[in-house]
Amino acid sequence: MNPHRSLGAFWLLLSLGAALPLLVLAWRGLGDVAILPKVLDLAGVSLLLALAGSLLCLAVGGGLAWLAFRARLHPGWDALLLPAYLVPPFVGALGFLYALQLVGLQPYGVGGILLAWTAHYAPIAYLLLRPALESKLAPLLIASEVHGVTGWRRVRALLPPLFPALVAAFGALYLTLLGNFGVPAVLGLPAQVYTLPTLAYARLFSPASPDPLGEAAAIGLLLGLLAVPALLLSSQPSGEPSPRPLRPRLVWAARIGFALFALAAVAFPLVGLMRRALFNTFTGAFQPAFATALELPLVRQGLTNSVLQALLATGMLLLLGLLMAPQPAALRRLRQVLDLHYLLPGTLLALGLILLLAPTPLYATPWILLLAYLLNFAALMLRAMEAGLEAGIERLVEVGRLFGLRRRQAWWKIGFPLMRPYLAAGVFLVLPLCLAELTLSAMLYAPGSETLGVAVLSALNGGLFREAAAIGLMLMALSLLLLWVPRRGVV
Amino acid sequence: MLRLENVSKSFGKAGVFDACLRLEPGEIVAVLGASGSGKTTLLNLVAGLLTPDAGRIFLGPDDVTQQPPEKRGLAYVFQDHALWPHLSALDHLLLVMKNPHRAHALELLSRVGLAGLDTRKPHQLSGGQKQRVALARALAARPRLLLLDEPYSALDPVLREELRLEVASLLRAEGVSALHVTHDPDEALAVADRVAVMEAGRIVQLDTPTRVYAQPQTLSAARAFGRLNLLPVQVQDGLVHLNGQTWPVEGLQNGAGLLAFRYEDLQPGPQGLPAKVLAVYGGRGERLCRVDLGAGEAVVKLHAEPGEQVWLTPLGRLRVFEVPG
Repeated sequence: MNPHRSLGAFWLLLSLGAALPLLVLAWRGLGDVAILPKVLDLAGVSLLLALAGSLLCLAVGGGLAWLAFRARLHPGWDALLLPAYLVPPFVGALGFLYALQLVGLQPYGVGGILLAWTAHYAPIAYLLLRPALESKLAPLLIASEVHGVTGWRRVRALLPPLFPALVAAFGALYLTLLGNFGVPAVLGLPAQVYTLPTLAYARLFSPASPDPLGEAAAIGLLLGLLAVPALLLSSQPSGEPSPRPLRPRLVWAARIGFALFALAAVAFPLVGLMRRALFNTFTGAFQPAFATALELPLVRQGLTNSVLQALLATGMLLLLGLLMAPQPAALRRLRQVLDLHYLLPGTLLALGLILLLAPTPLYATPWILLLAYLLNFAALMLRAMEAGLEAGIERLVEVGRLFGLRRRQAWWKIGFPLMRPYLAAGVFLVLPLCLAELTLSAMLYAPGSETLGVAVLSALNGGLFREAAAIGLMLMALSLLLLWVPRRGVV
Repeated sequence: MLRLENVSKSFGKAGVFDACLRLEPGEIVAVLGASGSGKTTLLNLVAGLLTPDAGRIFLGPDDVTQQPPEKRGLAYVFQDHALWPHLSALDHLLLVMKNPHRAHALELLSRVGLAGLDTRKPHQLSGGQKQRVALARALAARPRLLLLDEPYSALDPVLREELRLEVASLLRAEGVSALHVTHDPDEALAVADRVAVMEAGRIVQLDTPTRVYAQPQTLSAARAFGRLNLLPVQVQDGLVHLNGQTWPVEGLQNGAGLLAFRYEDLQPGPQGLPAKVLAVYGGRGERLCRVDLGAGEAVVKLHAEPGEQVWLTPLGRLRVFEVPG
């Protein structure tokens, strides 16, 4: 058989295999489309919430990116924005829940969800738009200033070149918000405000539903239909910063903007979490809830499972990355295949795996969750590897081979040592995400295989607010470790 | 040492077409041409980084056309050095040596002017020092053939000049054959035993640098070395009539063409072509004048003042090329 043809067949089979959970979901969902008219209004809510949230994030993150760009703010200031993004969304939501209650506001519902989303995801808009501003707008802005192009004419000169980056950022945000489970689970479910991911979750565990899985699959199908168009918009804009100082007098405005965002998006929910976790709600006495939280069997179980799952998944993905690195073309191909599970809402993957593996012994074991983690986060690890290869490592290995080194020797002596920081970036990206994962584990856990995220949700549902806050604080601290990880262009 | 037999590699209209080249042991051949003329593609074909669509490549007696790069026994000096950032200068050499020998590696580093810098990593070296490490690495591999791809273009002019002379003499002392790609005619003149001029993927002339400079066979070969004047002329029976002067020319017998001559090809003479000096330039240690020849303007090497009337005669027979289509 022609080797090209067999290679093509291999990739086709692999792509089909990777897409199998989604295909099964679509198939099962099509069988239960009768439910869709009943949930169309909720789909509308989900859609509008995702659209409004994306616009808010774009406005806040884009505004901060514009300020930073005009003021030539040092990248070190990004450290004020990143914590909000690194904390798991449901922990942030928990923080807002407690903080807003502290000031006498009721955070449940659409307003709370939008607030928590904006706080969490505006930094993504910032991270996506600032490089585009630096690379595309800096020279155009200088040209506009030099030639006296002002007012509306300047907007006309500057906006169109930026449009592709804005559209791409909007697409990425929309996809993320549409699939987000944690924030609507914490701030929407108690007020019976459903988004499609939380509705699929609610239907899946509904004792009243005659066919919970079919209904959840139909909702998943709808979620997929709403998500797919945005996949086309979600390519990441990039660019090199311009060395020109532009508007130094805006430096203070930009600094204040960054500080205000950090206060509102990180410090405020942190205060809420700390107040709940450290002080007795009724007496106000200092009484940390960490020990009580860790004594709860579900939390201990969740902690053990989360740590084991995270270590195992990260280790396996690291191994996959190391094995794939010497085959850059195959690595890229595999990453493209697995991007589907990274970019599409996790709810789709979880439902697809339930449908696919329900008849097998894997179902209702920790292994199904491990498989879900592997499929969900593999693209992230492979992206880290790819970033290294594209940064010139692939070529330097080729140079080694040109000088007579054997393939294995060239990778051992040149490729892998140079890949180390990228491997570290991959590990430290995937590990905390697995530890604090909620969307997949909420749908795939079985008794005995609960995760830390599930434990928080259960504590919250069971009225153990202080314990939930304590675990939230621990997860927050863990996630902030990511601040020290070199990002290497991976996220 | 190296033999290319009708080697072709096409990327649509670009690439290398029907290249034939023979390199003798110890010889340095410079490949000269404009950007996109196929120089680097030719080098990559020899290196094994590309496989030819047609033709054969021999290294010594071996047909290496289908051999992978690591089997060819070559070394490569890149424009951007391509050093391994995690290795010291010394480790670069030890890694590529067939029989790693520390004392020999240190001696080699010292010969390229890097004595005492053996523990430095690339980020701790200057641009010139990095290029010296790249060169020492190439020599440490004891290659059958050394490939150099515009190795000095990222360096400042002084360092470039210094390094290219040093390297050429080092290669000659070691008896290493080299294929040296450059777009800098001065570099080709300084380092090469022969020059291959490339145009649109083809080797249009292969000869000694002085002959390619003095007797270019094509317009692009003439252009490759710069310092060129081109005047549109009509040729009749091998003669060009310019402002009352009749000069015998070679290259074209009849028809419209371009009279090509270097700055130093015209000299003052009493019976020459009348010309008026328009401007004077201080070249590199020489005086160049822009003159009006009546039939057009040209730059000539001349001691004169602006506004002065001079008479110019050709030193030898000038060449006329067909006007490119």
